[in-house]
Parts: sequence; C-alpha cells; structure tokens
Amino acid sequence: MLDLLPIFAQQLINGLVLGSIYVLATLGLTLIFGVLGQINFAHADFVTLGAFAAFFVARATGGNYLIAILAALLVGALLGSIINGTVFSPLRNADETRPLVATIGVSVLLENTALAFLGPVPYAFDSPYSSQVIRAAGLFFTVQNLLVVIIAVLAVGSLYAFMKLTFIGKALRALAQDREAAGLMGINQKQLIALTFIIGSAFAGLAGAMLGPILVLTPFAGASVIVKAFAIVIIGGFGNIEGTIVAGLLIGLIESFTAQFLSPGMSDIVVFGLLLLTLAFRPTGLIAERREENV
Amino acid sequence: MTSTSSRWAFGSARWLWLLACIAVIAILPLVFQDSYWRGVMTICAINIMLALGLDFIFGYAGQLSLGHSAFSGIGAYTSTVLVTALGVNFWVAMLCGIGAAGLAGVLLSAFAVRLKGHYLAIASLGFAVITYQILVNWISVTQGPLGIYGIPSPPPLTIPGIVTISFSDQQNFFYLVAGAALLSYLMLRNLTRSPIGDALTAVREDEISAASLGIRGTKWKVVAFGIGCAIAGLAGCFYASFIGTLVPDAFFIVESFMLLAMVVIGGRGNLWGAVLGAVLLTVVPELLRGIGDARLIIYGLALTLVALFLPGGISGVLIQFARRFSGARGALAAKGPSHA
Amino acid sequence: MPETSLSGTAAIAGNAPVAPTLFSVRNISKSFGGIHAVRSVSFDIPKATVFAIIGPNGAGKSTLLNLLSGNYQPDTGTLLFDGADLAGKPAYERARLGIARTFQKIRLFKHLTVLENIIAGFHIHRKLPAWEYVWPARAAEMDRKRCREEALELLTFVGLVDRADTVAGSLAYGQQRMLEIARALATKPKLFMLDEPAAGLNNAEAGFLLERLDTLRKQQMTIVLVEHNMELVMNVADRIFVLETGQQLFVGTPDEVQSDPAVIAAYLGEELH
Repeated sequence: MLDLLPIFAQQLINGLVLGSIYVLATLGLTLIFGVLGQINFAHADFVTLGAFAAFFVARATGGNYLIAILAALLVGALLGSIINGTVFSPLRNADETRPLVATIGVSVLLENTALAFLGPVPYAFDSPYSSQVIRAAGLFFTVQNLLVVIIAVLAVGSLYAFMKLTFIGKALRALAQDREAAGLMGINQKQLIALTFIIGSAFAGLAGAMLGPILVLTPFAGASVIVKAFAIVIIGGFGNIEGTIVAGLLIGLIESFTAQFLSPGMSDIVVFGLLLLTLAFRPTGLIAERREENV
Repeated sequence: MTSTSSRWAFGSARWLWLLACIAVIAILPLVFQDSYWRGVMTICAINIMLALGLDFIFGYAGQLSLGHSAFSGIGAYTSTVLVTALGVNFWVAMLCGIGAAGLAGVLLSAFAVRLKGHYLAIASLGFAVITYQILVNWISVTQGPLGIYGIPSPPPLTIPGIVTISFSDQQNFFYLVAGAALLSYLMLRNLTRSPIGDALTAVREDEISAASLGIRGTKWKVVAFGIGCAIAGLAGCFYASFIGTLVPDAFFIVESFMLLAMVVIGGRGNLWGAVLGAVLLTVVPELLRGIGDARLIIYGLALTLVALFLPGGISGVLIQFARRFSGARGALAAKGPSHA
Repeated sequence: MPETSLSGTAAIAGNAPVAPTLFSVRNISKSFGGIHAVRSVSFDIPKATVFAIIGPNGAGKSTLLNLLSGNYQPDTGTLLFDGADLAGKPAYERARLGIARTFQKIRLFKHLTVLENIIAGFHIHRKLPAWEYVWPARAAEMDRKRCREEALELLTFVGLVDRADTVAGSLAYGQQRMLEIARALATKPKLFMLDEPAAGLNNAEAGFLLERLDTLRKQQMTIVLVEHNMELVMNVADRIFVLETGQQLFVGTPDEVQSDPAVIAAYLGEELH
C-alpha cells in the first residue's frame, strides 16, 4: 500500500496542474455564462489562438515570454470584442439557440482556417520554463507546470476581487442575477456585456499562452479542452467562480487518477458521467421545471 | 417558416409529388453510371435521413441536439456487431440497430428534456462524447479505433418465382437506401401534419401555454427524440453496410456539427429544408473536390452566416420569395410551395 | 340543484353558495424565499358563476391563479376540483381535467396562424387510430374538417372569424387577447380562469369582453376572473374575493364588496363602481 503513495502523490500533482489548466481555460467561459447566460462555443478556439499568438510573438521577440503573454491577452480581448459585436450583441433578443449555433459555426471556421494557415503538425512551443524540471520528494513537475498553477491562482484571485470589490464587478453580478432590474437601475448593459466578453476572452488568451508549452499545440488544441470546459461550467454551477475552481480541480484530479488507474479513455466517460449526474440532481437554476416560472 | 402545415386535401397533389420523387430516385443511378457518384448519392440519401431526424428533434420539437451522429453510431455498431460477431440476419440486426438508437434517444431525452436550452445542448454533447469513448474503448465488442472490417451488404431479397434483388449491386443498394429515406420523409411529414405535429409545434413555440392546453411538453420531446434517433440508427446501419468498414471516428463530434449545419443551412421546421441542406452539404463539397479542407471552412462560414442572418435557412428564403410572388399575404394559397 | 357538501370543509363567513361547488380551495399558501405571497386562503367556487379575485397591486392575485392552474404548486393546503384532488398535479394535467386559463402577459403561438392557435387547443380532444398518424386516411380527414369547423365557430364567438389565416403575432393587442380566450375555450373546459384579460383593452374591447363573459356564464361556464378593471368586475361577477397581502380581506357579492369598509380602506378611495 505504501508503495502506492508516491504514485498517488504524483497523480495528485498532475491532477492539480491539469485542474489549474482547466480552471484557466474555463474561467472566461464561466464569467460570460454567468453574466449573460450564453455559451461562446468558440471560446476554446480563442485559447488556441492565444497560444499561437504567444508562440509567434515569443519567437519574434527572441523568447520574451512576458510579452508573449501580453500579446495573448490582447488577442483574446480582441476576439472577445469581435464575437460580441458580430454574434451576441445583434442576437441579444433572438431565440437563444441562435448564438450558440452561430458560435459553433465560428468555431469550425476558426479551427479549419487556422489549419489551412498553420498546418496540422504540432508546434513546439518552448517557454523558458517548460524544460526546467523540479524534483522534490520523488515527485516530478516542470516550472511551467508550477507557473500555470500560480497564474491560475492569481487569475482567479484577481477576478474574484474584481467581482466582489469593484463597482463594475458588482454591476456585473447584478446583471447576472436579473437583467431587467439591472437595466432599470441605469446600468448600461451593452457596455457591460462587451466588457464581460473582453475580460472573459482575455482570460482565454492568457490560458492559451500558459498552455501552449504544455499541450500539443495544433489548431485543435483548444477543442480538446472545450467539451470538458462546458462540463466544468455546469458541474461548478451556473456561472459560479468558486464552483468553477472546485469543479476544474476536481475534474483535473479525476482525469489524472482514472488515466493512471483505469485507462486514459475512461476518464472522459467518468467526467461526462459526472456531468450528466450533475444535470440530473442539481436542484437550482439548471432544471427549468423545478424553478417555477412567473407567468 | 415554422408554422404547422397547411391542410392540403388528401388528393392528387400529394400523389403527383410522390410519383415525381420516385421517378427522380429511379432515374438517378441511370444518369450517373460511375461508382463514385453513385456512392455520393448513397451517402446523400443517408445524410438526408440523418438530417430529417435532427430536424424533427430540433426544428419541430425545438430541442438542440448536438450529438445526433452518436445515435447513428449506436445503430451502426449494434447492427454490425450482431451480424459480424453473432451471425444474426441482417434485417433483424437492422431492426435491433434502429431500436437501440431509438431507445438511447428516449433515455437521453427523458433525462435531458427538463433542462433549459443550453443545458440540454451540453447534455447531448456530453452524451455524444461518452458514446464515442465507449465505442473507442470497449475493444472487445467494437474493436476500438481499428474498427470492424468486411461488413457485408444486405443479403439478397427473393420474391419467389419472380426476382432476386441482390444488394451487393450498387444500384440496388442505392434504391434501398433512397427508398428508406423517402419512407422516412413520408412518415415524418405525415406525423408533423397529424395532431402529434400540432402538439410538437405548440411545445416548441411556448411550452407553458401548451401546458395550459393540456399538452405535456416532456412527453412530446421524448417522442420526438425517440423517433428522430431511431431514424438516425437506420441511417447508421446503411452506412456501415455501404462503407464496409466501421470506425468510431465516423461518429465523432464534428460529424454532429455537420448534421446541425445541414439542418440550419437548409432551414429547420419544414423537413424539406433538411433534405435541401443534406443534399447541398453532401454534393457541393464533392463538386469542389479540388479545395480539400476548405470544405470545412466553407461549412463553418455558411453555418455562422446563416445562423446570424438567415434564421429560416435557405428554405426560409425560398418560402419568402414564394409568398411575395403569390401576392396575398397570409392567404391559404400562398402556403402552397412551402409544404411539399 | 341539490347542494353538494365537500367533506371536512368548515363554513366560511359570507360563503353561502346556491349552486354546487366546482372548485374548493382550503388553506393554500405559497412562499417564495421568505416572502409569503399567499397565506392560508380558502374559498369555494360555485358552478356556472363568475368568481372574481381583486385586490391592490402585489396582493398575490396572479400567484393565487397560478396555484389554481398548476403553474405553481402550493406549499400547504388542498385543492378539490370537481371531486378530484389536485395535489401535485402539474398544469397540463389540470388542463386535461377541465381547467383552462389565459395569462396576464398574452401567450400565443405568435408565429402560427389564428386558426392553428385554436386547433392547438383542441389537442386533448383529438383521437385517431394509431396508423393514421403516419398514414392519414378518412378519420384524419374528418378530424381535420371538424377541427376547422369548430375553430371557425370559436372564432366567430370572439369576432375573429375573418382573420382565421392571419399570423397571430400580427393581430392588434385586443384581438390577440380574444384569440387567447378562444384558444383556451377550445379545450372545452369546465372552469375558465382569466388573468387580467381587460388590461390593455380600450373601452369598446372591454365591453365586448364583458359581454362574451356574460354569454359564457349563461352557457353554464364557471369563470374565475382576476381583474383590476372594477367596472368589468362589478358588472359581471357573481361573487368577489378580495385579496390583500396574500390573505382574504373580504368575500361577497359586488354590492357587499363595494360597501365593506375594510375593502374601501384597502383601495384608499379608488372608485369601486
């Protein structure tokens, strides 16, 4: 039993790193989902494009990772602004499936356009930290991994502080709770929604910059994460930041452990089984029938 | 657009149209004699069935199902495994495939139809991912990513004393699949014009007021899912037999998105839009063979633009034109062209 | 008609029905979070009468109606409709038992035509042999014909027969309201509940509505009416139930209601007639 301990601990580390990756990738999605109730299906492709932006900027600046990260943030923010302006804003009062379908189209478009320009061969994105390895107490991880966890914590922390402490953050929370009431209180919805997309998508870009060195960097890098990201948003709760953290880490851990002790393919089944269970049993908000609608 | 059908009398117009379809189907393999294009037509018929099923679920019952391809996979694998591993008769296996897919649809929807729009969509996506992973990992049954080879065509049908129809002949196989597609269309069209169709439309348009009329939303959504997924299972069975090889990747998530694109671009809620979308998105890329992977770029762009600007799809645009030509707005006559 | 007495019901002050009771409500309550929207409300609705529910804004009238229709489930209390216990029964089931309703915010199938809206209302009464759903023949044809005929009758009743093929969303507001009423009547209900049907109607339209409700009542329909329009209520109601902050303030005939001091105080000098 005791000899399982190092394996257990290693999987714990792997799981936390993986979980932090998921949290970073999902944070923006949670924010948008929470405030707007909409899903941007192309969110994962923003992560991918952020990763590529970081890659090319890093290469152009001779390996300056910091500037690469900033570039990724900017690219993400820009993409968020564009998708809001072209898809979500015009369709604000339309049938709620239309933006989702439109963003599915955008996702397919982005992935395959990137494929056409960048090719299917994975890019080797080496940050200054991805080769630095730390060995401690028989455990193994790279500095990049550590960096991901640290950045994830910082990102979550700053978003949290923003939402709880600043005026705009409070306005966003008001918007999330009751759009009509928030509008009546003089909150400018259009601008706030645009801001939400910009922040949320900037986070996606940031996630891309952090994940580029870790994931296999192809035009479909984000897609590998997207479906799990949705699962996390829902398991964590309707646009709930705390929930996203817990769910993200949980799923990272589940994936790590099932991959080790069962098989890699099973992890998807376990994760999505958990998603379906959540949808079955979670009482509030998710299940329309139980939430009595005011007619 | 998405209104229930006009009340054409059970009469000559309908029979004429039916005859025309049969004629077109009969002629096609005679016009296109090379095996490549006959193959395209067969895949087209399969896609038509898939798109019809999805339109029934999404266009009529209003349920955004993002994993429709998975049900095709369930039908395909169920029938194929029964035939190849257990030696079950093809037609019996096909019925099992249809049943398995329909049952899976009922199970998913019984669970998911209580959920609001986005959650249902994601639940369906999650279901599709799980299905795909099961197909990949349950190697003892499905052979995993390597796939199942040497899937036979349907056994010949013998009408004693008259004729034996062999389905290893590409032309006959096409007639079989196209015939099934036509029957699926007819069945769904009649359903949508029946009181069932009225109930589905009511549930789609406003579930709460439908309830006030005694119409139970969850029941009808489950019915729509069951039927739509059963048809997908049928299509899957034909697909397996046609290609001869079955791999899980044929039912990956992106295939579901392509089916969605067919329904959205063709126009949902009137069945013939789905047919149109399926034909367009199957045939056009073949015509543009030279462009290769630009095919998906075009799909993505088309899907986005249609979702943004043409919510009724191409069929919606055509209906609008027809109305304008007919002049009188809202008069019964103007509804003619929109309901084949 | 012989008086039917329901088991376990205590006499309620001012409640002396002469017709048998169709709907018996006992001690129903509903809270949302900490807010008691409806508190231990009880009344009997006699058959073939117009039972109006009035009260100041925020009194809980719509909530009460939702509790009767099944859009909300009560926290406590019992609902006995035509002998059937409605506990736990959702809206669609109550509709099938004969409770029809309209909504405060008009809920029509806006993309369907007027005729199609009505035909949706017939759904629970339509029956075909199983195979005719997939291959329609004579029974389907007759069903369709009958639906159309009866729909046109209903449309004549609400004055919309010449708009049968118009898309519902393009009707004027008052016409949409009448269509919603016709559609609810298509379910052939025993009880018809209307939530502020006169809101947004001009005088002529409200007068027409009043006249139609009166005709329905003469045809032995039982009607529950939640309304703000006092002229309508006083002219058509047989009994009026006054609700204030979720509780019963008064119940009685229009004359009694108009002269009750508590009611007058609650409305603070509003015109009651």
